[in-house]
Order: sequence, then C-alpha cells, then structure tokens
Amino acid sequence: MTGYPEGFVSPRPAWTTGRGLWEAVARRADRAGRYLAPFLLDVAGLAAFWILATYTYAWYVLGATAYLLVPWWVLLLGVVEGAIVWESFGRSWGQKVVGRELASGSGRPTASERLRYFVLWHAFGLTGIGFVTVPPLHERLSGLALARERPSSLAPVPWYRTSAGLFTAAFLGVTMAAALGVTLTWESVVRLFTQAGQSLDFWRALVRPDTSILLEAGRDMIVTVFMAVLATLFAVVVAVPLSFLAARNLMRGPIGRPIYTAVRGAMSIARSIEPIVWAIIFLVWVTALRSPFAGILALWVHSIADLVKLYAERLEAIDQGPIEAITATGAGRLSVLRYAIVPQIVNPYISFTLYRWDINIRMATVVGLVGGGGIGQRLINYIWGVQYRQAGMVMILIVLLVWAIDYLSARLRAKLA
Amino acid sequence: MANPYLVVDNLTKVYERGQVLALRDLSFSVAKGEFLVVIGLSGSGKSTLLRCINRLIEPTRGRIWLDGTDVTRLSPARMRRVRRKIGMIFQQFNLVDRSTAIGNVLTGRLGYLPGWRALLGWFPKADREKALANLERVGLRDKAYVRVDQLSGGQRQRVGIARALMQDPDLLLADEPVSALDPATSHSVMQYLEQMNRQDGVTVIASLHFLSLARRYGTRIIALKDGQLVFDGPPTAIDNAKFKEIYGEDAEEVEVR
Repeated sequence: MTGYPEGFVSPRPAWTTGRGLWEAVARRADRAGRYLAPFLLDVAGLAAFWILATYTYAWYVLGATAYLLVPWWVLLLGVVEGAIVWESFGRSWGQKVVGRELASGSGRPTASERLRYFVLWHAFGLTGIGFVTVPPLHERLSGLALARERPSSLAPVPWYRTSAGLFTAAFLGVTMAAALGVTLTWESVVRLFTQAGQSLDFWRALVRPDTSILLEAGRDMIVTVFMAVLATLFAVVVAVPLSFLAARNLMRGPIGRPIYTAVRGAMSIARSIEPIVWAIIFLVWVTALRSPFAGILALWVHSIADLVKLYAERLEAIDQGPIEAITATGAGRLSVLRYAIVPQIVNPYISFTLYRWDINIRMATVVGLVGGGGIGQRLINYIWGVQYRQAGMVMILIVLLVWAIDYLSARLRAKLA
Repeated sequence: MANPYLVVDNLTKVYERGQVLALRDLSFSVAKGEFLVVIGLSGSGKSTLLRCINRLIEPTRGRIWLDGTDVTRLSPARMRRVRRKIGMIFQQFNLVDRSTAIGNVLTGRLGYLPGWRALLGWFPKADREKALANLERVGLRDKAYVRVDQLSGGQRQRVGIARALMQDPDLLLADEPVSALDPATSHSVMQYLEQMNRQDGVTVIASLHFLSLARRYGTRIIALKDGQLVFDGPPTAIDNAKFKEIYGEDAEEVEVR
C-alpha cells in the first residue's frame, strides 16, 4: 500500500466548535425538559382542576361566577407544592403521562428516600440549580431517579386504586358539571321548542324561492367560484416553494432548522386565524372597498397556510430510497429534486390543491357574508332586508354548487390516487 | 497487490445520534476486476461501508482511494463526477415507483447530462437507445413503458441493474441486492452481476446475507463484525469455525440453492 499517505487527522472535540457547543446546550435543555415535563403537567393539571372545581362550586352552591376564590399566588403556591408532594410520595398524573416513575437503585423507593427527594426538589428543582447536571442534582443526591416505567409482571392496578386515575375521574366529573352549568339552563331548552314558530316565516319562504333573481344570483355565484379559483391558484404558487422550507427532513442543520421553525410557525399562526377574520382585516386594509378582492386575499392567505402544511407533511413522508439512488448516479441537486422528489409529490400536491379549492368554494360564501363579495354577500343582504324568498333561492343555489363541486373534486382526487 | 483499485484505509464512521460506532478502523484493498462479497450480521456495518465509498454517507475518519483519488477529500462537484462511474443497486431497489421502467433506467445518465437538459427531461436519442438496449440485456425490453410499481421484485431489481449499467460503471456497489427476493430470483439477479463483472470488467462489491451465495459468486470475501474486519480471504477459506466467529455461536448455515 505504498504511495498513499498514512494515518488520519483526528477531529476537533465537538464542544470546541460553535455548532458542537450549540448542540450540547440543546441536548441538555432537551433532557432538562424531559425531567421537568411531569412537574409542569402536574402543575397545569392541578391548577385547571382547581379553577373548574371552584367554578362549579360557585355556580351551584353560591349562585355566582368565580374562578379562583383565593388570591392567585395562593393557588400557585398550592399547586406547585401539591405537585411536588404528589410526585415525591406517589405516582403522579404527569409521571404517568410521560411514562416515568420514581425508582431507586434497589427497587421500590423507601419512605425516607422519598422524603429526601421531596426536600431536595425544593432546593434544587424549584430553583433550577439542579438542572446544571444530567441527571439533575436532586436525583443524584436523593438516590432516586425519574426512570422510564419498567414493564411489570404484576397485574395492572385498576384505575380507582391509583391517585392519577382518581384525579382523572374527578377532573372529568368537574368538567362535565361546569359545562352543564354554563350552557344548559332549563329556560333555553324550553325556548328551543316554544319559539320554533318565530322561524316559520323563514322556512316558509325557503320552500317558495323567488326564481326571478336567478340570473343576478347566478352571476354572483360565478364571482364566488372565481374567487375560490384565483385564491387557490395564487396560493399554490406561493405554497409550493414554501413547502420545501417547511419540510423537516429537507431542512436540516444550523441554517435549515431555524428557517423550518420560522416558516412552520408563521403558517400555523396564519392558519389559526379563520378566513372570515382575514376577510375583515383585508376589508379594512383595502379601504373598506366592498369587493371580491378582499375575499380573495383572505382565502389566499388561509389557503397558503393550509397548503404549506399539507404539502410539507407529504414531503416529510417521501421515500428516501430514490433520493439515495439518484444521488449515487452522480446527478446534481436539482436533478435529484426533479427525478427523485417531484415524481413522488406531484399527484398528492394536485390532490391537496383540489381539496383546498373545494374548501375555498364554501369559504368564499362565508367570506362573502362579511362583505367579501360574491354570493355570500348577496345572501346576507337579503337576510338583513327580510327578503326571505330571495334568500331561500340563494341558499338553494349554494347547496347545488357546493354539492357539485364536492362531487367533482372527489372524483378527480380518486383518479389521482 | 501491485496496483489496488480501491483502498480503504482506517475507515471509521460514528453516527452522532446515540454515538454508534458503525465502522472501526477498517482497512482493506480491492484489485480491479474482483467480485468482493461483504458478509456479516445485520448492523455489522456493511451498508455503511458501501455508502462511504460513494459518500452517500460521510466517513468520520480515514481515507478511501479510488483509482488513486482520495474520494474523502473531494468537493461535492468533483465527487459527483466520480459517482458517475460508480453504479449502485439497493436492497429495496430504490426506484421511483410512479415512473416507467425506462424512465428509471434513464436516470442513470443524469450525471452525464447538462443540468438544464436534465430538468427538461431532454435525454439524447443515444441515451434512449442505450436504455432500451440495457433493458433488453436484463430481459425487460417488453416492460420498458410499464410503471415500475406494476413489476415484481426480481423485475424491479433488474431495472435497478439496468439503471446502473447506464452509467458505464467501473465499480458496482450492491447493497444486499437479493435480500428482498426469493431464492430462484436471487440467482437470476446475481448472475447479471456476475456477467457485468466478467464481461464488462466491472469491479463488484456486494453485501450478501447468505454465505452460500457469497461462496458461489464471490472471488473474495470479507466479513464484518461490529464494524471491524474479522475475515479477508478466498471463499474456500471460510470453514465452520470461521463461520461461528462471524455469525456467533448459535448460528446455523442456511443454503440457498
């Protein structure tokens, strides 16, 4: 083997590079999070329970609306202390949820070990000091560890004999009681039946629709379909490139991951705002111009957010095999994209787009209700004007349109599968 | 060995997650025209080794010389030029399912095509003819325009072989090419590899699960265990004791006929 240089260069230790250091910090934070998770879950669970229980008590017993009944700091201290007691001396709900339990090296923790853990948790856990090491200091010093649940050969304990099980049952019971107290009054149930006559005019008009407006309404319906088509089309143009930035498996490394997080975050915010709210925002934005334009913008923004999510999830599920194979032939990055990734996503992308278009047709109607143009705007005008026969005609048209588009999009998508 | 074609020198691969040591200071060399079979248990590092050679996986330490070039030091662009001459076939075939057989075979030419032509899918006529000829060679001329998800396992692997043939390779890496196939089909696929090796003078490095296949087709065998080389020699040199050492005390040899 002469002629070839010998040996190899030993690499720098990971923590001397910026990236290595960053990864070490991230790993530590991740582990601390895993130790903290049961505690935070318990605190949140106990606090929610207290609030619901207080509400129920106040509603039924005091006949008033109240959520705390104690100063907020008393509640906070109470639930934090409660969580620590629960986790130290029992098997808490939070521990169960994350699938961990307190274990000592020799097996079941003894009472004195548990007491030591309880005290140390206050000193190191609450202050955060303990988390400088992994596992945290309070675990090391108490000799107990929040270990992964071990498979047991014993029969499982029934839920009514565990504290976590009883807590869950009480929580559900209180939630139910509170929900009944808020929404269901006897009066309102009675009204549902005794006042049915009030809507009679409306139902009567609905079965005698005014066909004379068919032509105008038809024109508005075309506007609505166009709104949906345009919004979907423009959304695709933006969503396709963005979806690559929102795919976890394609965005790796110190540059890729922050971009991924930013895009995904922005999209989930945009998606959580309903199209009808977007429509109001854009109506204000485009100087309260009552026109389909605001409606299109509203649908466009929401469609982008929705499509990016659907597209990106499809991208994350692609088969890595072809990528590997095409890379191995010596193809460049763009060729790999074109020949290994694109063939796998084209049909699903088209399918998602059709699905979204179908949604947009319905949404375009809703957006119209707040003044975003199209058939929805016509409908709401008739309803405010007590022109129920005309409104009935419009509603029939909407039903027919939605049904037709639904059928069409389903057929097309079935073909693509 | 006067002029080794491929030299692997102190190759080590550590996977960051979980700090798995996949390859440990692995050194061996391969002469031109050899049919080298890599054997070992699942997880012994066979796949990692093959992928380090064409750098689908980046080695952690060590060097790999291919025909006198240190491939571990090449820039991405120059690595792509080297890859053109290294064909690869896979256990799961790694074809694009929604594409036709000829569509898959043509991707073997991507390394030779200017980028803009590749994006337009504008392959030269010569490439198309070559693709049909290679499909003919693996006995799939009549399936050229069939989507590959309609083909059987053996047929799909033959499409994979045709794709590798398109590259006019000097070296073929075969990562458990027959593990997903039944015994009869396995032999048919292995015979195509043997043919490439003997007729076209392609150096073959194949990882295999079955020792009987390794003995039948390999001109030389290396064995890996926990990422280390535990055997390097002719197929006839693996006796029962050596077999137990590679596969563990409880292993029984299974024949594939």
